[in-house]
Amino acid sequence: MHINIKIGKAPVSGLIAALSLVLSAASFAADNINILACEPEWASLAEELGGSHVKVFSATHAKQNPHFIRARPSLISKARRADMIMCSGAGLEAGWLPILIQKGSSRIQPGKPGYFLAADFVQVLEIPTVLDRSLGDIHPEGNPHVHLNPHNILIIANEFTKRLIRVDGNNQASYTALNEAFTSKWKAAIEKWEQDLSGYKNLSMVIYHKNFSYLIDWLGINLLGSIEVKPGIPPTAAHLEELLGVIRNSNSTPIIAVTPYDATKGAEWLSGKINKTYVTLPYTVGGDEQSKNLFDLFDRTLALLK
Amino acid sequence: MRMNTRLWLTALLSLIFSTHATAGGHDLKAIKAEIESIKQVYESRIAELEAKVKSMEASAGEKSVVAAQSQNIPKKAKQVKRFNPAVSVVLNGKASSFSSPESEFAGFSVSHEGERGREGLGLGESEFNVAANVDNKFYGSLTAAIVREEGEDKIELEEAYLQTLPDLGIADGLSIKAGKAFWTLGYMNEHHAHTDDFADRPLPYRAFLNKAYNDDGIEVSYVLPTDFYTEIGGGVFRGDDFPFGGSDGEGIGAFSAFARFGSDIGDNQSWRLGGYALIGEAKGGRTGNEDTVTFIGDSDLYAVDFRYTYAPTGNAREREWIVQGESFWRSEDGTYEDTNAGTGAVAHDDTSVGWYAQTVYKFHPAWRAGFRYSELESPDILAGLNGSALDGRNHDPRSFGAMVDYTNSEFSRIRFQWNNNKLNNQTTDNQFMIQYIMSVGAHGAHKY
Repeated sequence: MHINIKIGKAPVSGLIAALSLVLSAASFAADNINILACEPEWASLAEELGGSHVKVFSATHAKQNPHFIRARPSLISKARRADMIMCSGAGLEAGWLPILIQKGSSRIQPGKPGYFLAADFVQVLEIPTVLDRSLGDIHPEGNPHVHLNPHNILIIANEFTKRLIRVDGNNQASYTALNEAFTSKWKAAIEKWEQDLSGYKNLSMVIYHKNFSYLIDWLGINLLGSIEVKPGIPPTAAHLEELLGVIRNSNSTPIIAVTPYDATKGAEWLSGKINKTYVTLPYTVGGDEQSKNLFDLFDRTLALLK
Repeated sequence: MRMNTRLWLTALLSLIFSTHATAGGHDLKAIKAEIESIKQVYESRIAELEAKVKSMEASAGEKSVVAAQSQNIPKKAKQVKRFNPAVSVVLNGKASSFSSPESEFAGFSVSHEGERGREGLGLGESEFNVAANVDNKFYGSLTAAIVREEGEDKIELEEAYLQTLPDLGIADGLSIKAGKAFWTLGYMNEHHAHTDDFADRPLPYRAFLNKAYNDDGIEVSYVLPTDFYTEIGGGVFRGDDFPFGGSDGEGIGAFSAFARFGSDIGDNQSWRLGGYALIGEAKGGRTGNEDTVTFIGDSDLYAVDFRYTYAPTGNAREREWIVQGESFWRSEDGTYEDTNAGTGAVAHDDTSVGWYAQTVYKFHPAWRAGFRYSELESPDILAGLNGSALDGRNHDPRSFGAMVDYTNSEFSRIRFQWNNNKLNNQTTDNQFMIQYIMSVGAHGAHKY
C-alpha cells in the first residue's frame, strides 16, 4: 500500500504498458496454433485448413517410412509445445507417438480436441480377422495409409476444421471459410480425377508394402501382390520368384510401384524380369518435385499410373 | 413388374384364343399347338427381357459404385477403443564360449549382475511386462525378469512404477515417476537390456551400476518449453540398489539430478547430450565379488552421455548409423574390506573412471554391424588394500567387442558377438556369443 502511494501515476502507466505488452505477446502467441503433423500429407492439409493461424511442423519427410521413426529429442520438444497433433493413427505411429504424447503438452492428450487421428474418421480397410505375427507386422486397427483416397481427405478436412474451431474458437469464421474454399476446390478436383476411372480398372499393380491400398481401392486397380514378404518383413529371393510366378500367371504386365521410402532392390529385379521399369509414386506431399501439395500429389500419381 | 404383366397378358391371350378357337370349331390339337407356339414366343420374349434387365442392373450397379464414391463412400468409422494393457514377453537366450576360466576386474569390486555371464547354453533374462494408462492422469508399468541364479530360477522385479501423464494438470512438461524403475542416468540405464546393441553391457555399467540402477524412489522431470529439446530433472531414492546398499530407510539414501539437450541436424541426423549425477551413501555396505568385498561410505557417480543417429538415405528403416558413448566418474569416500584378502576395513578416498564408445551401422534392412570399446581406470588405493580385489596392479580393465545382428522383423533379432577382454593383467578372455531376442505380444514405443 505504501509503495503504491509513493510510485504515483507514471510508474503505474508504465506497468500497464508493460502488462499490455505481455498480454499482446501472449495473444500473438495464441494466434499461432502449433500443430505437430506426423506425416507430410497431414502437414499439408493442416496448412490448407489453418492458413495463417497455424504453425505446422511435420515429424517426418517423404523419404522416411513413418512406421520407423525414433521419438527423437526434437520431436519431444515439438510435442511439448504443440496445441494439436494430426496423425494417421491406426497404429502407424505406434513405435514413437506414444512417447511424444507422454512427454507432450496436455492439449494433445487422447480425448482432447488437439488429439486428431485421421483413421478415426474414415472407413479403414484391411482390418485383420486373424491377429498373428507370423502374418507380419499387421495393424489390428487396419491399414493406416488412409490419405490416398481423395474422398477420405474430404471427410478428414471437415473433421479437422471442427477441431481447429474447438481449439481456436476466435478464428472460427476464418477456419470455416478456409474449409469451404478447400472443400469446393477438392470436390472439383475429385470430379476431374474421376472423369475417367475406367482407364485404371484394367490395370494391375505390384507394390512394395500395403501403403497404396486406399489408392488401389479408389481406382479399382487389380493388386497382384507385395514385394515384401509380409508387412514389415523385407523381401527374399524365394518370395520374389513366387511373385514373378503370380505375375506370369496373371497374363498381365503390372505397374510395379514403390514409395520414395521403400527399398527398390526387389522392384528393380522384378522390373528386369517383366521388362517394365518400376515407378516411384510420390505417396505423400514432397514425394517428388511435382507433388508440392495434396492436389499435385493426386495429379501426379494419376499421371504416373496412366 | 413388367415381366409379370406380360405373363398375365400371355395367360389372358391364350385363354381368349382358346375360347375363340373352341367357338370356331377348330381341332383341339391344333389349338393346343397354337397355344404352345404362342407360349414359346412369349417365353423367349420374356427370357430376352430378363437378360436385358440383368445387364441393365449390372451396368446400373457399376454406375452406382462410381456415384457412391463421389458421394463419400468412406463412412465415419466407429471408434472402437479396446481395453488394452500392453502385455509382452521378451525371450532371450545365449550360447557363450569364454577362453579364460575367470574374469576378475582389476581394481574393482563387481557385484553379481556385473559379472560375466554363464558359459555354454543358457537363458538370459526372460522379461514379462504389463503396461497401460491407469487413467487419464497416470500410467503404470511392471516388468519382471525370470533369471537363473545359482542354479535356481528367480523372479527379479526390474520395474514397477507409475508415471504421471500430462493430463495431471500441474504443468505441461512436468512428469513424476515413482516406484522402482530404471532411473534416468546416462543413456543405457533407463533402457531394458533387450534393446541394447550388444549382448552384454559395457564395462562401466558392469562395474559402477551392477548393470543398471533401479532403486526404489521417485523422480521428477521437466521438459522446457523451448524449441531446442531441454529436459531437466532429479530424484530421491532409498539407497538400497548398487552402487548403494543396506539402507535402513532413514532419510534419503541417494539423490540424482540430470539435464539433457538434443536436436536435429538437417533432415536426417539427430543427437542428444546429457549430464547426470547420482549421489548417495552405501550406509549398510555395498557388497561385491561374491559378498567378499564390502564398501561402506559415500559413493557419488557423475556421467555424461552422447548419442548421434544418422539415416544416410533419409529412411532409418533401410540404413542407419548410430554413434554412442558414455563416461562415468565415481568418487568414493569410505572404507573397503576384502574378507578374502583379510584386509580389515581400510579407508578409501579416490575417484575411478570408466567409459565406452560404440558405433552400429545398419547396412541392410535386416543386418547391422557394430564395434564397442570400453575401459575402466582403477582408483588409487592405500597400502592396506594391496593384494585385495581393489588392487589394480597398474592394470586398467578394457574390452573390445564386435557384433553382427540379424533382425527379421521388429520382434526378432539374432546376434553374434565377439569380445576381447583384458580385465586384469593375468588373462585375456576371448568371448564368443550367439544371442537371440524375441518379443512376443505388444511392442511398446522405443525411446530415442
